[in-house]
Amino acid sequence: MSELISTSIMAPLGPRRLSLGWEQAQRNVNGNVAFVADLDSKPRTRVSLAEHISNYGRIPTGMTLGMILETLKVSNLTGRGGAGFPFAKKLEAVISSSSKRVPVIVANGSESEPISKKDVALLRNNPHLVLDGISLVAGILNAKNAYVYIKDREAAATMSAAIRERRDRGLSELRITVVDSPGGYVSGQETAVVRRIEKGPALPRFSTERVASSGVKGAPTLLSNVETFAHLALIARFGGDWYRLGGVSKDAGSRLLTVVGEIERPGVYEVTSAATLTEILREAGAGSLKGLLVGGYFGGWLGVNTLADLDITLDETTLNSKRLSIGAGIIGVLAKNTCPVVEAAGIVEYLASQSAGQCGPCFNGLPEISTAFARIALSSNVDRGLTELKAVIPLVEGRGGCQHPDGVIGLIRSTVAVFSDEIKLHKVGRCSVNGASHRSVLLPNNVFASNLTGIATR
Amino acid sequence: MKLVIDPTRCQGHGTCAQLLAEYIEMDKWHYPILNHNRLKDSHLDAAKRAVSLCPELAVSILID
Ligand code: SF4
Ligand code: SF4
Repeated sequence: MSELISTSIMAPLGPRRLSLGWEQAQRNVNGNVAFVADLDSKPRTRVSLAEHISNYGRIPTGMTLGMILETLKVSNLTGRGGAGFPFAKKLEAVISSSSKRVPVIVANGSESEPISKKDVALLRNNPHLVLDGISLVAGILNAKNAYVYIKDREAAATMSAAIRERRDRGLSELRITVVDSPGGYVSGQETAVVRRIEKGPALPRFSTERVASSGVKGAPTLLSNVETFAHLALIARFGGDWYRLGGVSKDAGSRLLTVVGEIERPGVYEVTSAATLTEILREAGAGSLKGLLVGGYFGGWLGVNTLADLDITLDETTLNSKRLSIGAGIIGVLAKNTCPVVEAAGIVEYLASQSAGQCGPCFNGLPEISTAFARIALSSNVDRGLTELKAVIPLVEGRGGCQHPDGVIGLIRSTVAVFSDEIKLHKVGRCSVNGASHRSVLLPNNVFASNLTGIATR
Repeated sequence: MKLVIDPTRCQGHGTCAQLLAEYIEMDKWHYPILNHNRLKDSHLDAAKRAVSLCPELAVSILID
């Protein structure tokens, strides 16, 4: 076992806490932060299976279900798609539904958050690690079919090639199929993924059952983010205790983080939960800051007034105490001269446009919410906007077929709570960012062109 | 027993609200708001009619 660890590709990192990375020469701050890819990461060369094995060692065979579960529990691995659910529990839920039907495995790499690039980076550069994890759990669950759901074309091609390589070597009986995600914000939603795999539209489905008990064509379905499977492949090799060397105990191991916004080195970083925001932002090249969007569009804001605000670690206990969560592994950085309310309003406008149009309260309510919020952001009629929000939010919250509308409401609440001083200024027709242009920093222009002035006068 | 409405199917026809006024009111966009979902035995028949009369098959009764 220890030999395997010493051949891991993260040799430059000393205590090898970070192991998902694939670049030999990574930057590194005390073993808790490493840069692993640019936002438009192109794979250097396709990693062959042989190279992959020489990098990480072989995946152990003959692990029983009990051994895997035990190791997973020690590791405290949580899903990396956003909800952060303990993976061992999810696996147990699937097992308890698997007596009657053969379960199915789904690795979700659709990464529908426009500013997230970590899954693409992982899939383009390290497909075999994801496949290791999928094959391992397929083995213990006796699954015959697995799916990898991918939006990015190049990542899908890389993944398909890796699957072919394994099949040609006769490595396993498991049939792994790459399914194209059509993109769009809700297409990565669990039930939307399941519907797409069933050859339906990639839209959420309302269900009183969890996909763990009834997913793809009613079969028990182990669905998790692609990164979760990559971690599983490491934990199976090196053990749960090894995994806990990184991060703090409840939030062990590492995670991939997309760091974007007004910084010098946007990209994908591998971090442990013991990394502080200060360390991460130093690596990413941040200047003086207004705030951070933590967790992505369904996440929340951390207002930055002094440097001490950034002196917190990334573990969930610490983040939760600030009403934050790492969510889908995103940190969006706003510089001092950017208005966070305008940013949030642009994101809300985009999210409203992404309603799947299935549920009345969602497709009627989100545009109203978005208009009200735009009035606040543009300082045009803040009181009216606040009154409208108060009236419409209760009509929308908890009434969608999926979490989409509630996620939007969460972002608005965080903005209003964290930047209340900013909103007070907006009330008197001002903004702490004088002459702030209404460009979006955290909403790529090629994804969505925001028009707050247009919707505020709706 | 629990009353369940699938919001992805519901098209806001409102038949359910007429039959189950004690449970359901319509919002300003004419979509049903389920004020509470614990179904009383005495309302089971009305609930069953709501299930069969919803044009979108959006209403169901969940036995738990
Ligand atoms: S809540 Fe909105 S996004 Fe979710 S299923 Fe309904 S219409 Fe689609
Ligand atoms: S009857 Fe059916 S479609 Fe009509 S409002 Fe009720 S649930 Fe919706």
